[in-house]
Amino acid sequence: MGGSGSRLSKELLAEYQDLTFLTKQEILLSVHVVLAPHLVDNEQQARSGNEHTGKPIAENTNSSPLSTRAHRRFCELLPQEQRSVEESLLAQVPFEQILSLPELKANPFKERICRVFSTSPTRDSLSFEDFLDLLSVFSDTATPDIKSHYAFRIFDFDDDGTLNREDLSRLVNCLTGEGEDTRLSASEMKQLIDNILEESDIDRDGTINLSEFQHVISRSPDFASSFKIVL
Amino acid sequence: MLSDDHVNEIIIEKLIASLIPMTSRDRIKAIRNQPRTMEEKRNLSKGGLTIMTESEGRAKARLTWKIVDKEKSKQTHRILQLNCCVQCLNSISRAYRRSKNSLSEILNSISLWQKTLKIIGGKFGTSVLSYFNFLRWLLKFNIFSFIVNFSFIIIPQFAVAEKNTLQFTGLELFTGVVTGITGLCHQVQLIFLFLVEMGFCILVSAFSSMAKYFRDNFINPHIYSGGITKLIFCWDFTVTHEKAVKLKQKNLSTEIRENLSELRQENAKLTFKQQLTRFSAYVMAWVVSTGVAIACCAAVYYLAEYNLEFLKTHSNPGAVLLLPFVVSCINLAVPCIYSMFRLVERYEMPRHEVYILLIRNIFLKISIIGILCYYWLNNVALSGEECWETLIGQDIYRLLLMDFVFSLADSFLGEFLRRIIGMQLITSLGLPEFDIARNVLELIYAQTLVWIGIFFCPLLPLIQMIMLFIMFYAKNISLMMNFQPPSKAWRASQMMTFFILLLFFPSFTGVLCTLAITIWRLKPSADCGPFRGLPFFIHSIYSWIDTLSTRPGYLWVVWIYRNLIGSVHFFFILTLIVLIITYLYWQITEGRKIMIRLLHEQIINEGKDKMFLIEKLIKLQDMEKKANPSSLVLESREVEQQDALHLGERDGSLDLRFRRSVQEGNPRA
Repeated sequence: MGGSGSRLSKELLAEYQDLTFLTKQEILLSVHVVLAPHLVDNEQQARSGNEHTGKPIAENTNSSPLSTRAHRRFCELLPQEQRSVEESLLAQVPFEQILSLPELKANPFKERICRVFSTSPTRDSLSFEDFLDLLSVFSDTATPDIKSHYAFRIFDFDDDGTLNREDLSRLVNCLTGEGEDTRLSASEMKQLIDNILEESDIDRDGTINLSEFQHVISRSPDFASSFKIVL
Repeated sequence: MLSDDHVNEIIIEKLIASLIPMTSRDRIKAIRNQPRTMEEKRNLSKGGLTIMTESEGRAKARLTWKIVDKEKSKQTHRILQLNCCVQCLNSISRAYRRSKNSLSEILNSISLWQKTLKIIGGKFGTSVLSYFNFLRWLLKFNIFSFIVNFSFIIIPQFAVAEKNTLQFTGLELFTGVVTGITGLCHQVQLIFLFLVEMGFCILVSAFSSMAKYFRDNFINPHIYSGGITKLIFCWDFTVTHEKAVKLKQKNLSTEIRENLSELRQENAKLTFKQQLTRFSAYVMAWVVSTGVAIACCAAVYYLAEYNLEFLKTHSNPGAVLLLPFVVSCINLAVPCIYSMFRLVERYEMPRHEVYILLIRNIFLKISIIGILCYYWLNNVALSGEECWETLIGQDIYRLLLMDFVFSLADSFLGEFLRRIIGMQLITSLGLPEFDIARNVLELIYAQTLVWIGIFFCPLLPLIQMIMLFIMFYAKNISLMMNFQPPSKAWRASQMMTFFILLLFFPSFTGVLCTLAITIWRLKPSADCGPFRGLPFFIHSIYSWIDTLSTRPGYLWVVWIYRNLIGSVHFFFILTLIVLIITYLYWQITEGRKIMIRLLHEQIINEGKDKMFLIEKLIKLQDMEKKANPSSLVLESREVEQQDALHLGERDGSLDLRFRRSVQEGNPRA
């Protein structure tokens, strides 16, 4: 599977490098790796729709750069017939397979992340470029501005452009998990949201908009280093 | 009312207008920073305006950036043609940028322990990761200083081998290596003094990057506490193991509850009696901890003196290890005593507890190093021994080694025992948590010893390198086997700043003081080392300057030395300038704080104005609705309102927002 002609062209390579925070070397390495024979083994798993084995990067590429690894991991999720480079760039992978990636599997916000980055009309699948966008925002070199912008969109559960009380309570529930003893009671939740709004809502309108969110985030120097997904 | 697409168009037009005057490099950066999909970014970069406005079939001129750039370059071409210097500078800056990029790519690819660190971060979070990052940074630093030392000092010395007058005995660990090290220990050249200066310069540049870190984390004017909000918004996305995530969620829930209860009780005032008892508990704890530290220092000093006497008369090889053993025991036991004070003292915020404990431990360690330095410089150096520099070097080496052995034993045995106790015997304790502060302090302590010892034994960075390397793996294995992830959200970046500050302030300045005293006040040993026979170490520089002043080509060096480094006026003027600049910056900061407060009030007032206007508008619309019951008008108005409701989905800067909730009686309005 995969002929020698399946390489990312130089223009495409340069374009990805320009438009994302990922580096060129990474993309080159991944194109080489994407044709590796071991992918054949994963095809059966991908085709039968099983969960991704969750194996992290192959041993010899522990320092291989980001978007090439991204391309390889993405291709592992595709069925066999879409493995050529051009088609893989356009193919849409349904959410279930993205959510089976080991880096996202345990993340409490995985559905929101996929939904925010998806550009398909039905918003239920990701293309390779969306995936690259995702990795670029979560990479080390992305600016805190862009990270906080996307964090805001991820936390905005009803997609209305502001974080109101409902959004905040769903956010807190995501953070504290599903267990009975870890969920906050209604009074605790109310007190918590009141405190959050008091601390971050500058114009006192009962919701947090993007600028207020970015203002709060700018005062937390830990944000940039924790809003990271390392592939 | 504006439609969603129309709004988007306006935004993109503004964006493109702002991109036109930029250079192509800045343009790419600006486009990359846009929070848009790949498709839209690609269109922007190609310069096309591809807004799908089906409703309005406007034909936009397809501008490409190439045309824009050509126009710009045509205008500036005539100017630049005459100015080839600018072109030179441009090409130099381009080459510099390319080399910087390739260098950073190379450095990223050979980054040490990348995968291991990712696993640690995935299981334990960023706070524990910060310790291992610090270890890796220290290792890189030691590698660098070792390479510098080796190439400038050791290699020439191999060519001119001298006798070594002291040997380590067979009981010393690694005797073969150590004999060789001793032989080189006292071969220190004049160049080394300059290397110390160079190391200082490098550290000053490291200091400037640290100062930026410091500014970001500490000096930001914090008007609000922002404690709980940071907990909520800064979820650690690097944690990828299921169990770790579940644990983190549980811990977060506990911490939120604790914070909430703290906030509820914050207003509870204590009675005078309670305040008095609390205050006396603090005072007593501080008195006891300081007393313990001073007692330990005195014990170390007298033991060291006694040891020196003892060694002069007897030559028991095991006795030389007594002092390092005692010091390491103190370093192990006394912090445990300090952490037991927690039972007596009660602090309002657990963060204060951590800081106070840290300060006490730092005080203990610094005072022990201080007393040892005093002992070395006062007693050993003036004792009339031959090759006293080598003695000090050996002492430091033994201290380092014993400390390393104790750390390894603690990692493998101590923590293992703690796990057994926590899991089998007293199950309520559970697995221990990785004590980041204590481990970082150990690293800083060892690094301080290495810095002091570099002057007396230039191969110490090599030993420290090997020790750090082994320590990384030991701590990693112990971490995976014996520990659980931390339960409290640990402000990693603030603590890292604090640690680096710690490394440079008490530690490095202390080392500089020690070295300064050595160089200016002490008499080198008469028989060993390249400084032999000089009255003071510093005379080597004086004689070098004297030899230089006879050579006509180097008079500028002599001038710099005499008039800048050697003169008091220069430093006075320099200090004055620094003080003035500091004062100016402080005033600017104060002004900005006032500005922030005023702007904040302005935002609140504008919010109130907006609410007022919205209510007025709605009342007007209601009145019109009642006055004009035509359904068509109603429908179009409602449609416009619906459109307006969905505005600003992607761009928060547009303020044309009419929210339904206002009509529903927002309590804040």
